[in-house]
Amino acid sequence: MVGEHLSNEEFFTGLSELFDSNRAKSHGSIFLTQRRLQFSFGSTASTPTKTADNPLWDTRPQDPLPIIVRATNSKSTKKVGGSRKSEKRIKLSTIVQPEALDRFYLRYAELCKAGMSALKKRDRSKRKKDKAKKRKAGDGEKKG
Amino acid sequence: MPYFTTSSEWVEQSSLLLKARPTTTRITSKYSVLKPNASKVRKQKEKSAIKSSSKTPPSEPSATSGVASFQASFILKTYDPESGTCLKYRTDKAAEVGRLVGSLGKLGRHMAALPEVLDDLSAPADQGTGTHTPITEGASSKDVKSAVPESKSAPQAGGGGGKKKKKGKK
Repeated sequence: MVGEHLSNEEFFTGLSELFDSNRAKSHGSIFLTQRRLQFSFGSTASTPTKTADNPLWDTRPQDPLPIIVRATNSKSTKKVGGSRKSEKRIKLSTIVQPEALDRFYLRYAELCKAGMSALKKRDRSKRKKDKAKKRKAGDGEKKG
Repeated sequence: MPYFTTSSEWVEQSSLLLKARPTTTRITSKYSVLKPNASKVRKQKEKSAIKSSSKTPPSEPSATSGVASFQASFILKTYDPESGTCLKYRTDKAAEVGRLVGSLGKLGRHMAALPEVLDDLSAPADQGTGTHTPITEGASSKDVKSAVPESKSAPQAGGGGGKKKKKGKK
């Protein structure tokens, strides 16, 4: 299982490829997931375990825990007999250590910004219209 | 599950959920680009046909193709399977992506059980939010709750206000 996870750098390159293929295809979805890495490999002593008497068992761990970030290009369940061509499912996952978290998310945000290019850009023409309207209104007030 | 109308609201509620259940809660974000489905295309064609018949310009290919173009959206979902809580936010604006992924990082700090102190250092705290006392892990959730929306909303409002003022002077 450990070997399946990519390093943060490899994850970024994989994710940008995912975005690129999505752009080339011009439709499709990309899923990004993040959660606390519950089972740490090797050292099980530091991870808190669930106990019945303490409902807040996991809220105050002694050490910061790594988180796992996943990315995939399609849903896990395929429609049976669907008309769509079944594509190869790409799964990426990486473990982000707590000390690398801030750095990771800076890169991650940049990548997402660049990758999600089909979203609506800020509409500047509308704003110009508003400006013009405001100016007109201002002139009217001055005259009156 | 209804969507939150503002992203700051989603971030706030998600951080509260993560504080309560940091191990089981996960955040899934979905970026999807959809082809307009057939019925929608038909409806839009009908609409444009009505428009063109009532008004004089008969051919508006740019307008019709613009409406029936691909619909992209970015959906954020915080889900805790244990309590069944699901918090969602949806946007189609590219301008919001950077901020939202940044807040994913903030929420990631909750997941990693890191204190929130470094949040303020990384965030552009240029406005009058410099009164943050360093929040330790033992701080009450009330403090944290008040701190998060402050730092989020202040720069936006300040930026918008500043621009307007400048325009007025000109």
